[in-house]
Amino acid sequence: MNADSRFAVIGKPVVRKEDVRLTAGRGQYFADLRIPDALHCVFVRSSHAHAEIVSIDTAATRRAQGVVAVFTGEDIKDRLAPLPHPIVVPNLPGKFPKHWPLAVGRVKFNGEPVAVVVATDRYLAEDAAELVDVVYSDLPYVGSPEEAMRPGAPIIHEGWENNEIFSMSFTGGYTAETVQANVDEVQAIIDAAPVVLCENFKVHRTGVTALEPRGVMATWSEDDGLTCWITTQRPHIDRLALAEVLELSTQQVRVIAPRDQGGGFGTKAPFYRESILIPWLAKTLKKPVRWLESREESLLVVGQERDQRHEITVAASRHGKILGLRARIVADNGDGCMGVYWGFVMPVLGAVTLPSGYDIPKCDIQLRCYVTNKPSLSPSRSFGSFPGRFVIERMMDILARRLAKDPIEIRRLNLVGSFPYITATGCHLDSGDYRKALDTLVSSVNVPEFRALQKTLRDQGRYIGVGFGTGVEISGIASDVFVQLENQPGYGSATVRIDARGRAQVLEGDAPQGTSHETTFAQVVAETFGISIRDVQVQTGDTANTPFGSGSLGARGGSYTVSAVVNACRNLREKMARIFIHDRKLNALPADIEFEGGFVFPALDRDNKVSFAELADRIIMKPIALPPGEQAGLEATDYFEAAKPMFYFGAHACFVEVFPKTGEFKISRYVTCEDAGTVINPLIVEGQVQGGVVQGLSNAMLEEFVYDEYGQQLTTTFEAYKLATAPDVPHIEVTHSFTPCPHTPLGSRGIGEGIPGPVPGALVNAVCDALEPFGIEINQLPLRPDKIWHLLGAHFHSAQAKPNLRQAKAE
Amino acid sequence: MTTNVTFQARINGQEVTATVSPRTLLVDFLRDHLGLTGTHVGCTFEGVCGACTVQLDDEAVKSCMLLAGQISGHQVLTVEGLAQGGSPHPLQAAFQDAHALQCGYCTPGILMNMSDFIGRNEAPTDDEIRAALVGNLCRCTGYSHIVEAVRNAAHAIKARKGAAA
Repeated sequence: MNADSRFAVIGKPVVRKEDVRLTAGRGQYFADLRIPDALHCVFVRSSHAHAEIVSIDTAATRRAQGVVAVFTGEDIKDRLAPLPHPIVVPNLPGKFPKHWPLAVGRVKFNGEPVAVVVATDRYLAEDAAELVDVVYSDLPYVGSPEEAMRPGAPIIHEGWENNEIFSMSFTGGYTAETVQANVDEVQAIIDAAPVVLCENFKVHRTGVTALEPRGVMATWSEDDGLTCWITTQRPHIDRLALAEVLELSTQQVRVIAPRDQGGGFGTKAPFYRESILIPWLAKTLKKPVRWLESREESLLVVGQERDQRHEITVAASRHGKILGLRARIVADNGDGCMGVYWGFVMPVLGAVTLPSGYDIPKCDIQLRCYVTNKPSLSPSRSFGSFPGRFVIERMMDILARRLAKDPIEIRRLNLVGSFPYITATGCHLDSGDYRKALDTLVSSVNVPEFRALQKTLRDQGRYIGVGFGTGVEISGIASDVFVQLENQPGYGSATVRIDARGRAQVLEGDAPQGTSHETTFAQVVAETFGISIRDVQVQTGDTANTPFGSGSLGARGGSYTVSAVVNACRNLREKMARIFIHDRKLNALPADIEFEGGFVFPALDRDNKVSFAELADRIIMKPIALPPGEQAGLEATDYFEAAKPMFYFGAHACFVEVFPKTGEFKISRYVTCEDAGTVINPLIVEGQVQGGVVQGLSNAMLEEFVYDEYGQQLTTTFEAYKLATAPDVPHIEVTHSFTPCPHTPLGSRGIGEGIPGPVPGALVNAVCDALEPFGIEINQLPLRPDKIWHLLGAHFHSAQAKPNLRQAKAE
Repeated sequence: MTTNVTFQARINGQEVTATVSPRTLLVDFLRDHLGLTGTHVGCTFEGVCGACTVQLDDEAVKSCMLLAGQISGHQVLTVEGLAQGGSPHPLQAAFQDAHALQCGYCTPGILMNMSDFIGRNEAPTDDEIRAALVGNLCRCTGYSHIVEAVRNAAHAIKARKGAAA
C-alpha cells in the first residue's frame, strides 16, 4: 500500500501491540481500576432546563443507608473557586460564564449537576440520590439562538447584558473600519459577479459519543497530595487546571489517564465540572472517591456539537470559479459552562476553516454564538468544522447544477493548487496535492459508467446518485495558532529511554483513546534503532513520569507527537553512533553507521558490528573511556514544533439509491482518498478513515439530540439517541494519495480527527444528484427519509414530474 | 433490605458459589464480585450497546439485562474464558490481524456475540455478519474491519475442521 522503500517497519501493516490484551478482556479502562474502600458519587441533575432553585432538601438522603456526605452548590460555593480560571480560558474575545461544579442559584439546562451524593456503594448512592428533593421555580426556556438573540429574551447568565457569548469577524482584520471595508469589498464582488448563489443551511445538534462514558477517581494524601484517574485526552492540562482551581501546588497534583480508554473523539478533552468536584471531594473527605458516569448522564451533557446555521452567498464566474464568499454563521452555544471550550471554540475553528481546501480569494465570514438552555457545545471529532464542510460542499454542487457543469470539474477548478496557501481567514495550508487526491478518488470509481447507468435507471423510474465531498483537516495545531485558540502550546513531546538490555521505552504525556500510539510509536522507534517492535514499550498519560503535552486531539499524534519521538530517537542514535565510532576507532561520521536487525555497524563494513543491546549496555553500565565530552546514559526528551499548522486533505465519494415512494435511501458504495503523507501503519490509517466516515454518516443520518418545548432532552438513552449499527452502513473503501509532508521528519501527517467532515456533503450531494429530475436541494441535517418524502411530496403537488413517480410505482 | 440470594453456577469452566443482593445485575456480579472486568458497560443497562455480552449456556446474552441470581445452575462464558488451551480463539486472532478494534471497549461483547454466531453459521455472508452485529455498537471502526475479521475467523474454523476431518 505504501511503496516507501526508505523504511523497514514504517509503512507496514503491523498488527497492534494493544490488541493481545484488549481481545483477551485484559484492558484496563477507568471502570476497571479499583481502590479499596473508595466512596462512590452519584450526581443529582436538574430535571428542568431553566429554573431558580427554590430549595434542596437532603435530610432524607443524609439518613439513607451508606451515605457519607451530600453537597449542593450552596455547600461548595464558598469553599471552592468557580471557573473561569486563566488556564482553561482561550485567548479569544468571548465571555466566560462563572460557574461552580454544582449549580448555584439557578439551573441552566436539563442535566446540570445540582447535588452530589457520596456513599459507600454505587447502588446505595443511587438509592439515596433519589431522595434528594429539589424545588424549582421555572424560568422561560431559551431553546435556540434565534430566541436567545430576540430583544427582551430572558438573560441566561446573571449580570450579562444579552445572551451573546461570542461574536467575531474572521476576515478583514481587527478593527471595525477594516472589517467594514472588507464587507464592502465582498459586497462589490457579489454585485459584479455573473453568478450569485444564496443559500441557508442548518446542521442539528449531534456529535461523537464515545462508548466508554467518563469517570473520575481521586485519592488525597497529606504527603503526596492528589492522585486523580480521569478519562481524559489531556492529563497535563487537567493537572495544571486542577492545581489552579483547588489552589494546590502543581507538585501536589498527579493526573493519570487510564492506559486504555474507550474512545474520546474530543469528548474527553474539556475540563469538566466533575473533574473538579471529585478531586475536591477526595481532598475534603480525605477518602478515595470515585464517580463513573452513566450513559444517561453522558447523553445529557457530553458530545453535543455541530448545531450551527449558515447564511451563505457565493459569487462565481460563468466558468464556476468562485470569486467571493460571504457567510453569516450562528451557533447554538448551550450554557457555555465548560472549561477550555466554552462552547464557542468549536464554531470558531469551523468559521476559520470554512473555505476548506478551496481557493476563495475574498471572504467575509462572521460568527455569532448565543447562550441557550442546553449543555455547552463540547468538542467532537471534526471539531467545529462538520457544519462548514457540509455547507461548502453543498455549495459546490449547487454551483455546478446552476452552471450545468460536472461537480468534479467545479471542485478541480476551485481547489488550491499551489502551496503554501493562506486562506482568506488566515489558515495556512502547508502542502499536499489536493487535485491529485481528488483525481485518484475519481479514477477509482468510474464516473462515466455510473452516469450511463444512472440515465438508464432513471428511464426505468429508479434514482441513483453520486456525491462528492472534500476537506482539509487539521494535523495537530502549531503553537502559533493553538496558543490563541485554547491558550495551550501545540508542540509534541516525548521521552525515549533505552535500557541496558537494549529495550526501548517511550513516555508520552498525551493520552490515546484507541488511537494506536503503542503500535505506531513502537514502529518508529524500531525503525530508528533497527530493533524489533516487541522490544519497544509505550507508556502514556501519567503526569508523574511523562513530559508535558497538550493532549491527544486534533490528529496531533501522527504529526507532532510522533515527530517528537523521531527527534528523541535520532538524538540517541547519533550518540550511540558517536560512541561506537570512538570505540572502534573508525574514521566515520554518525550518519555512516547503520542500525539494523539488532546490530550496529558501519554501512561499508557490515561485519564490524556490535549488537544494539551490547552497545546500550556499554553506554549505560560501563561508561568508561567515553569520547571526550560524552556523557553516560541513553535517555532523551525531545520536542517537535511546526512553524505553521499542517493540514491533510481527503476526498470522499458516496453512491446512493433513493426510493421516491418512501423517501428511503440506501448507500450502495462509499470510497475515500486520503493524503496522510508518509503512512506509518496503513491498517491503522484505514481503520481511522472507516471509523470517521461512519461517525459522519451516523451524525448526518441517524443521531440527533432532541429537546422538547420545555427544554427536556428526549434522547438520553441509546434507544432514542441512535448510533449507526453495522447493518446501517456500507463497507467503506479507502484509497490513498501520498505526498509526504515536508515539515515533519518522517513526512507523516496526523490523520483521523477531521474524517467525518466531508461526509455529510458527499451523502447529501449524492441524494440530491439522485433526485436531480425533481429539482430537490437539501440544506439541512439530519438527512432522513421522512424529510426526503416530504420534499418529494411537495414537489409532486406542483410539478410535472409525476409520470416518473408513476413509473416508480409501477416497478 | 431483601434477603440475599445464594446460587451456584459454572463460570468460565469454574464452579462458583456466591451470595449477592437480589438486585445485583449479572454484569456487576461478573465485574465487581469476580473481577472479570473484560465484560463492559456502555449504555445505561438497557441492552443496546452490547459491550456486556456474555454467553449463557452457549447463547449470547446481554449481562446487563440479567440478574446475577438468574444464572443459578447455568454456565456462563465471558471473554476471559474464550481462549482455549493457551492459544487465542480464532476470532481473537482474526480481530488482531484485521485491526478490528481501536479503543477495544466494545470488543469483548462483539467476540462473545460472534463466537455464538459463527458457531451457528459457519460460512456467513457479509450481510449476515452485519445483521448479526445489530446488537453491538462500535464507535471507532465503522464495522468494516470487524466484518472482515468475523468472515476470516469463520473461514479459519471451517478450514481447521476440514483438516481435522
